[in-house]
Amino acid sequence: MDYARMKFYCDESRCIECDGCSIACAEAHELPVGISRRKVVTINEGIPGREMSTSIACMHCTDAPCEQVCPVDCFYIREDGIVLHDKDKCIGCGYCLYACPFGAPQFPRDGAFGAKGAMDKCTMCAGGPLETNSEKERHLYGQNRIAEGKVPVCAAMCSTKALLVGDSESVSNVYRARVMARGGKGSNSPYGWDKAYKNQ
Amino acid sequence: MEKTTERALSTTVGRRSFLKMAAVAGAFGATSAFASEKVTRAATEEEVKNPFPGSKKVKTICTSCSVGCGVIAEVQNGVWVRQEVAQDHPISLGGHCCKGADMIDMVRSEVRLKYPMVKENGQWKRLSWDDALNRIATKMAELKKKDGPDSVQFLGSAKMSNEQAYYFRKNSLGDIQKSKSIIIFGANPAVNHPVGFQHFLKAKERNNSQLIVIDPRFTKTAAKADIFAQIRPGTDIPFMYGMLNIIFKNGWEDKEYINDRVFGMDKIRDEAAKWTPELVADVTGVPAEKLIQITTLYAKNRPGTLIWAMGLTQHSIGTSNTRMAPILQLALGNMGRAGGGTNILRGHDNVQGATDMGCLADSLPGYYGLAAGSWKYFAKQWGVEYDYIASQFKDPSWMEKNGFTLARWWAGVAGVKSDDKIENAGTTLKALVVMGNGITSVAQQAKIKEGLDNLEMIVLADPFVNEAAILTDKKDNVFILPAATQFETSGLVVATNRSAQWRYKVVEPLYESKPDQEIMFELAKRLGFYEQYTKAMLMQETRDGKLEMIPEKKAFQWPEDATNEIARIIKTIGLTGWTAERVKKHTDNWHMFDEVTGAGMGPMKGEFYGLPWPCWTKTHGGSPNLYDTSIPVSQGGMGFRNNFGLEKDGVNLLAEKGSFPKGSKIETGYPEITKENIEKVLGITLTEEEKAACGANWKVDNSGILVQKCMEAGVCPYGNAKARAIVWNFPDHIPMHREPLHSPRTDLAQKYPAYPDKPNHFRVMTKYISVQSAADYAKDFPINMVTGRLVTMNGAGIENRASKYIAALTPEMFCDIHPDLALKHGIRNGGMMWVHSPEGTKIKVKAKYSHSVLTGNFPAGTKPYASGESVNTVTNYGYDIITQIPETKGGLCRIEKA
Repeated sequence: MDYARMKFYCDESRCIECDGCSIACAEAHELPVGISRRKVVTINEGIPGREMSTSIACMHCTDAPCEQVCPVDCFYIREDGIVLHDKDKCIGCGYCLYACPFGAPQFPRDGAFGAKGAMDKCTMCAGGPLETNSEKERHLYGQNRIAEGKVPVCAAMCSTKALLVGDSESVSNVYRARVMARGGKGSNSPYGWDKAYKNQ
Repeated sequence: MEKTTERALSTTVGRRSFLKMAAVAGAFGATSAFASEKVTRAATEEEVKNPFPGSKKVKTICTSCSVGCGVIAEVQNGVWVRQEVAQDHPISLGGHCCKGADMIDMVRSEVRLKYPMVKENGQWKRLSWDDALNRIATKMAELKKKDGPDSVQFLGSAKMSNEQAYYFRKNSLGDIQKSKSIIIFGANPAVNHPVGFQHFLKAKERNNSQLIVIDPRFTKTAAKADIFAQIRPGTDIPFMYGMLNIIFKNGWEDKEYINDRVFGMDKIRDEAAKWTPELVADVTGVPAEKLIQITTLYAKNRPGTLIWAMGLTQHSIGTSNTRMAPILQLALGNMGRAGGGTNILRGHDNVQGATDMGCLADSLPGYYGLAAGSWKYFAKQWGVEYDYIASQFKDPSWMEKNGFTLARWWAGVAGVKSDDKIENAGTTLKALVVMGNGITSVAQQAKIKEGLDNLEMIVLADPFVNEAAILTDKKDNVFILPAATQFETSGLVVATNRSAQWRYKVVEPLYESKPDQEIMFELAKRLGFYEQYTKAMLMQETRDGKLEMIPEKKAFQWPEDATNEIARIIKTIGLTGWTAERVKKHTDNWHMFDEVTGAGMGPMKGEFYGLPWPCWTKTHGGSPNLYDTSIPVSQGGMGFRNNFGLEKDGVNLLAEKGSFPKGSKIETGYPEITKENIEKVLGITLTEEEKAACGANWKVDNSGILVQKCMEAGVCPYGNAKARAIVWNFPDHIPMHREPLHSPRTDLAQKYPAYPDKPNHFRVMTKYISVQSAADYAKDFPINMVTGRLVTMNGAGIENRASKYIAALTPEMFCDIHPDLALKHGIRNGGMMWVHSPEGTKIKVKAKYSHSVLTGNFPAGTKPYASGESVNTVTNYGYDIITQIPETKGGLCRIEKA
């Protein structure tokens, strides 16, 4: 049987930069201040017709570039496409950040020239390689909501339902239905999917 | 999708089968639909291991804004361990903005006020509750004896639950999805009500609804609009008259509706004729073509709904602004229609409830007013003698006078430099008691500080340290009391659409904090009126219209008995049906209501979510849309209220023949129902027992018979009348344009001058024309300034700045400024700048280049975290003629590089 392929999608015609997703993420995983697993960005602010907001985190790419460049092979990709990494292996070199098209990897900052700690990034609320829902997993990677059968918290708490997460077929269906409802306005492919999922 | 949705929402799914990554959070419907059957398999034991064994989930309500989003709190061993997603909540569908997503921090923030403290000799000292309460009560008693009861000012809050507010003393959001067009004046729901805004976006998708935004700033809401007009602050009335000018010229008004349901539209038509598109363009700054385009779009796409918020109200002509908007809707026949109406987006979570409960300076709870008859009604309902209450005032005449308001209480403090004369029972204000109110969120902060500095005692009860405690230089007798958060007590809250939800207690109060009601009760005990204060919670109505003590009931249960007391007493706005039991049932079953209509399904069929008032009886299902005559009264239908007599100058004020709520026995207008007229109006005969049991009218009828008979006849108890376009008891009978007190257009200020000054306005002289004409402000202060809210902040920001995540998003004060304007003054992006106010005050803030404001027209947002200056230091003098709301949305300033 086919496993579902998990994808994120942020509908830029609905995103209003309320930062519900990023705060929900920080609070749910009790992240240190300064680590932004998810960020909301607005471009062309204040320019009629061109202002656009979108929410960005690790997209859990197909053939993830971070995984390909990591010198210590700390990344692993689950069958459902979720890209995770092992913080005990990570040496904090930052190669993944250079490779990532979305600027997702985060590094704890201890002063301007302080040593970098292990990388941190969005887990799609799927924890890490440690025992599921153990104290240690929660401490290092945050909640493992997927294991509890729960929706990742960012999309679940999105105020306007701009941010979607799920298997690619379902997300595509929702996307298509919205594009149709708006009279066919918008691009043929969800924003960011060409880079992340090579339009597969 | 709906089927899968329902299945997905049953909690069993997540527990018994392991979802192999197939959650689409937030698709169209009430979602989080799990895509298809094939992606689930049986879960292994390890996979379902509960991270918080033995935890329970508590349904409660967000405390930020008035949308009323659902929150599910996961509690383990009395500790709130995790905030869960309320995916099946009919308003929010699991959604939150950044404030809502961080509700758990309200309780577990490390910077909460943990125990009572007092400032002595400039130093903060810890003290016990007993000490604190004793000292406060002693001082209050002493002041009452020496200076009279009017020397103490109480400021309540829109953060309290209804029961707490009471003891201190529109259309549903989903309905917007039925609108064909949406016009927004002075509101920015994308920032202030993000979760509510999803309904706007869905309206666009589902109905191809046209979104029109009128605002001085190109806001986040404007970014999603089909058409946007950048208006000069304070010129909404000319804009709307301009729309009416075009509507009347083209005959687009709803003539039948106006004839049947509106009084005085002719006067509006005459005024509108003066506001040609060219004149409107000169006054508002919006080009004539754009006005025509917007008017055409709005008139041709009906039903249209009109949205407003503080951008319309916070002006010296705020009352006229808020009258103008419904008049526009009346002309188009948009009032009282599904998908139409005016949707006023209220700020705080329970501002609707706290207003209903009389946390106002001019009314007893339920808008009963302050007349002797109202006091007598309440005395009876509270089971105390009228004379007892009267004896608590300096003399009975002061019972019937308005108090000071939040905006201007400081004018009543001796020592504050102000030449505005006060009339306060011969005393000045000596003490201030504040519960949960960010009193620094209003204009003229320098004056607030002066007021605080000159008081004899300040008492501030909040979960976090109230800014007022830090603002003042007062060295002694400043008490800060740790109030519990709303998650550490329970009670009823009213959302912006008049619907009630039960905010369940999540955890016991942390540290030494106490819920607001306990603080009030403890003070009442020490001041010797606890018994009288709480007696009404032990009382009930009898069938023959009398009141009695509930047999065998010795102690009250908070807050349920208070909820029921309110339901028993507050009849004016139809709260009779809001018993604690019913409201809890709605919150418990929030998944059984439709997202768009709010209509209940299954066991909740026949009721609307939260029983939006008026909820006439204990079986009535609530009224989702006000003034809708297309449905029967039993299902929430009604005409306009008969509140102002039967005729005016020979013109009938009741609705005309043929205009009535569907299914009514009476097919024309009728007056509000009284004991005197019920037989004649309804064509029925009351028995002698019924007559003996009835109160004088439906608002004071403890027997409930009058309302019951109305329901049987499909008649609305408050009558069926016309809406008034003319308000003959206001200074402007129809809304008139008046320039802001500080206008950048001195020429227009002469043509459209402010009101005459108004003495004794909420006990203090309030100036209009004398301020406006005192100087040519535009010469020295040429720039328009507007204050705005950020999605990360709410109210004075006390709560949000206590959240480390939210504070990190917006750590400092800034001012949006157009680069063209900034560069003229040598101000760089990210550099510091001074903002000077005509009041002589100034603040230093960071400049943020933005194209969202015009050159020469910018808003300052407030984002202080520990440091930074408040924009309210430079907001100008100016208060509304009726409500005294401050004019923060239209002032002037001068800027320079810092």
